[in-house]
Amino acid sequence: MAAEHTATVSSHGDVAAPGRGAGISQGMLAMILFIGSEAMLFASFFTAYFMVRYNIAENDWPPIKDLATGERFEPPVLGTGVNTAFLVFSSFTVWYAEHRLKHGDRKGLERGLIVTMLLGATFLAVQINEYVHLGFTPQDQAYGAAFYTLTGFHGLHVFVGLTLLWICYLRIKRAHDFTPQWATPLGAASLYWHFVDVVWVFLYVVVYLI
Amino acid sequence: MATHAPTHAHTDHGHGHHAPPKPLWYWWKRAIVWTISGALAGIALVFFFRWAFGFSNLWEPESYYTAIASLAGIGFVIGIGCFDWWWAYLRGKHVDFEDHSLHGAKTWRDYLRPNTDHKVIGIQYMVAVFTFFVVGGLLAELVRLELAQPGFQIADGETYNGYFSAHATVMIFGFVIPSFAGLANYVLPVMIGAKDMAFPRLNALSFWLLLPAGAMLAIAPFVGAFSAGWTAYPPLAVQGTTGQTLFEVAVQFAGASSIATALNFLVTIMTMRAPGMTVWRMPLLVWANATTSGLVVFGTPFIAGSQFMTLFDRVVGTNFFNAANGGDVIMYQHVFWFYSHPAVYIMMLPGFGIISEVLSTFSRKPIFGYRALAFSTVAIALLGFGVWAHHMFVSGMASWLRIPMMITTIIIAVPTGVKIFSWLGTIWNGKIHLKTPMIWALGFIFTFVIGGLSGVFLGTLTTDIALTDTYFVVAHIHYVFFGGSVFTIFAGTYYWFPKMTGRMYSETLGKWHFWLTFIGFNGTFFPQHWLGAHGMPRRVADYDERFADLNLIISLFSLFMVAGTLVFFYNMIWSWRSGPKAPWNPWRGRSLEWLVSSPPSLFNFDAVPQVVGGPYQYGIPGARHAVVYAGDHLGGGELTETELRTVLVVANRTVASSSLLDQVKARAEEGYWRFTIVVPAKGDDHRAADRRLQVALAVLAEAGIDASGTVEDLGPLEAVKRILEEEPAHEVMLATLPTGQSEWMQQDMIDRVRKASGIAVTRVIVRGDDARTAVRSAAVQRIAVIANDTLGDAGLVSALQARADERPLAAVVLCPLSLDGPGWTDDADKVRDEATGRTRAVIQRLQDSGIQAHGEVIDGDPVAAAKIARSDYKVDTVLVCSYRRDSSEELLGQVRAAAGDTAVEHVVVDAEAPAAPSGA
Repeated sequence: MAAEHTATVSSHGDVAAPGRGAGISQGMLAMILFIGSEAMLFASFFTAYFMVRYNIAENDWPPIKDLATGERFEPPVLGTGVNTAFLVFSSFTVWYAEHRLKHGDRKGLERGLIVTMLLGATFLAVQINEYVHLGFTPQDQAYGAAFYTLTGFHGLHVFVGLTLLWICYLRIKRAHDFTPQWATPLGAASLYWHFVDVVWVFLYVVVYLI
Repeated sequence: MATHAPTHAHTDHGHGHHAPPKPLWYWWKRAIVWTISGALAGIALVFFFRWAFGFSNLWEPESYYTAIASLAGIGFVIGIGCFDWWWAYLRGKHVDFEDHSLHGAKTWRDYLRPNTDHKVIGIQYMVAVFTFFVVGGLLAELVRLELAQPGFQIADGETYNGYFSAHATVMIFGFVIPSFAGLANYVLPVMIGAKDMAFPRLNALSFWLLLPAGAMLAIAPFVGAFSAGWTAYPPLAVQGTTGQTLFEVAVQFAGASSIATALNFLVTIMTMRAPGMTVWRMPLLVWANATTSGLVVFGTPFIAGSQFMTLFDRVVGTNFFNAANGGDVIMYQHVFWFYSHPAVYIMMLPGFGIISEVLSTFSRKPIFGYRALAFSTVAIALLGFGVWAHHMFVSGMASWLRIPMMITTIIIAVPTGVKIFSWLGTIWNGKIHLKTPMIWALGFIFTFVIGGLSGVFLGTLTTDIALTDTYFVVAHIHYVFFGGSVFTIFAGTYYWFPKMTGRMYSETLGKWHFWLTFIGFNGTFFPQHWLGAHGMPRRVADYDERFADLNLIISLFSLFMVAGTLVFFYNMIWSWRSGPKAPWNPWRGRSLEWLVSSPPSLFNFDAVPQVVGGPYQYGIPGARHAVVYAGDHLGGGELTETELRTVLVVANRTVASSSLLDQVKARAEEGYWRFTIVVPAKGDDHRAADRRLQVALAVLAEAGIDASGTVEDLGPLEAVKRILEEEPAHEVMLATLPTGQSEWMQQDMIDRVRKASGIAVTRVIVRGDDARTAVRSAAVQRIAVIANDTLGDAGLVSALQARADERPLAAVVLCPLSLDGPGWTDDADKVRDEATGRTRAVIQRLQDSGIQAHGEVIDGDPVAAAKIARSDYKVDTVLVCSYRRDSSEELLGQVRAAAGDTAVEHVVVDAEAPAAPSGA
């Protein structure tokens, strides 16, 4: 958790240096940079995906055939599309939660967070279910490796995002944290959640649709 | 370390840290338990998954090693206590964001557990990375041992590959990258006027993440060294031995550590600069670290990605790099170099920053082209992301990519050239001081230009095709990494050594270190250009006969660097323990770290400094970089080293007591004070008072404390008033005997001085025997007086007084009393009483005349007394006193023999008397 650096008054009465990045707290800044770093991690896997895909003829993609029927594997566009909608919707619910806090509505904040976490958990469950029924494994072709690595790392990030939101929820319940004026950890967690969402939309378009 | 009372009021309402600090062993016991638990959890986890998914073979070593290494590493970091605060936070406990319970170090033990003070972390980093430097250096010597002759000397091909792979990995991930993090950790927050980094707990975590990485790299050789080089290209990296798995996990830990540090630097630089520190007033080291941190944050995930893929291919059996199943090995190189080329600048840009600091300071000139240097740093970083494929010209990648990559590569020479010429412009017409950091900086320019030029050969497609994978590449990489990065690390280490340790290093040894390394370095790597151009391949243990002579010479030259490194470590360790005390600003630098004490106080600044100008305005009249204010407890106003604040010490008979002098020393440690000692000796023996004062001044001078003193023929109150008329003081320290024995206390002197002076008065209580007995210090000569009959003679006392006036001394009076036969007769008692009386009397006389003295009657002859003087009292000189008639050369010879190497002098008290008849 990033520590909020508030201006501190020392015992001698002098005031610590005020933050200079006016309008943005250190915690949010750190989270933005961290998200930049995470984006680059996904970029490295997308690079791998594109280069693997580039090596294979277009009509031969994806290079996985169902052993029983001999038909080309088709990504589950519809089911995952619905799942995508869940995740996108959860971005709005976490925004709603923050919005309610701004109005001092702590109950609304809690509800928003719970709905967000439920949606996130549903997404993960659907994704695991998809893994079980896909019919190929990470060991099948470089495509399998890239597919599972991308979706798997994304799933891991959803899990991390859920953990962050869960910590915020615990802080709200147990320590009565966050006020309309100060909610940096919550803001950082929700920003991370939006990032996870945006990555998924990109991933869905690249891996499932085109 | 100079510490004040915590300056943050927050410590008052902190939670859970009022408990006494836990002993060091507690943390390490926890760390060991958690590490082992992590390893066991790894085994259990893999076993469970293999069982649950119905794998036919439950034992597959690579997957177990991966899980054990990862979870043991994480366990270690948890166990040592890096996550304690966060754990309390996420359980919903009330935690203090400004928790300073792990802040600052008082003893060496505090360096061996997580600490949130950026200065402690900086030193932790430097000690750890120089340990890795030794490991990497030994591996390099193994490489040179193998290559000293053609054929196989000490290792087969596979083992040899392990040597150079481990050498490169340890040096890059364990030494160069974290050493810049360490140096910047120490000085960067001070340079920008901050109290600490933005996220001190994350900072501690970054350091402790580095240790598991180093440990895994060190363990790797024992489970089968990784042999695919530091670049770890598949397919070899996928097929290689188990060490390769540890390498891949270690890189993830080192990467996480660097990313966390880089985030921390960026946020610190963006949000915590002191008022007035605009971006164009930042020292160039800050520019360099901001840029480098950007590279780390956005580049390092790519090496993480590449190592994850290799790991999955090794452990899970995926096909990222298996062409038979649609994989692509070239893809690895693209992903890897997309990080690892910027990583070259991660290892160089902070060094550029150090060089800018050092050159400007030691040329006594403003840096030439400040903005050009700052912009070129950013330009190198941005361009650095667009050149990665120049490492892959002959790899079989898409051929259309070659020319664009060559062009961008050559373009990087432009901002680099801007830097070199700006540095030359800085030295031009400067007043150059050839101190050790400066010599390293100049050596850096020399070697780095050579490395840069050979880089143009390798960046150019046509020549690179011939030179790829030859020793030309080895020469190039060492000219830019060793001649570049490592030279700057040494420059920075010497430059900030006084600031970090509070002690000066030895210039002579520093110069020896430089010349040994410089000669060894060029002798080792310059011939490799020739070897490479003539076709000697790199990464092969054996080579053609015709290269034998040159390789032997190279191996011999590499020993110069070993010698240089030994000199370096001797210098660092010796100087840190017992080098001379460093002033605040030994180099007369202008940036903020030189405007605070060495080492800086717990939170660096007592009041927020105000930056008023650029950091390099050397030689410009009236220009200044910043104003550092003193805290209220120092009386406010501007804080400068040259204007130390005065403490007035008032003491008469107690002035040379160890309790007063210790108190003065403790205050001097804070770094803000000088001392004026006044001895109010109205109605006392002035000569005696002066002798005591000289002892005190000698002791303080020996400890490097600025103190002066006078004896005044006044009472204490008048003396204080007199001195305060001449110079303002901030505090009076009044030393007295315990209340019952002190005349001054009877006169209520504390209160009267406070009222008369209007400033704070601190009382130091000194016991009577403490005031009278000798203080232990090298500055005070300890003399044993061995005398019996002569003790009552005035000549002895005046002889000692004359010596004391030459040099402060303390005396031990030893009265040897050898009684023949049993010693219980009445006569013997009488003799003994007389001797005791004489001894007491002379001690009293010495003390009255201002010489600290004590003594005893010794049962034995002068020889026994000399032995006691040497072994028990550890005196510097033994004085044997006798009347002329009693003088015996034979006895004197025995005393000399008994005293060993302690000087023995013979004082004849009645030198004018006629010589005694022989045998008397």
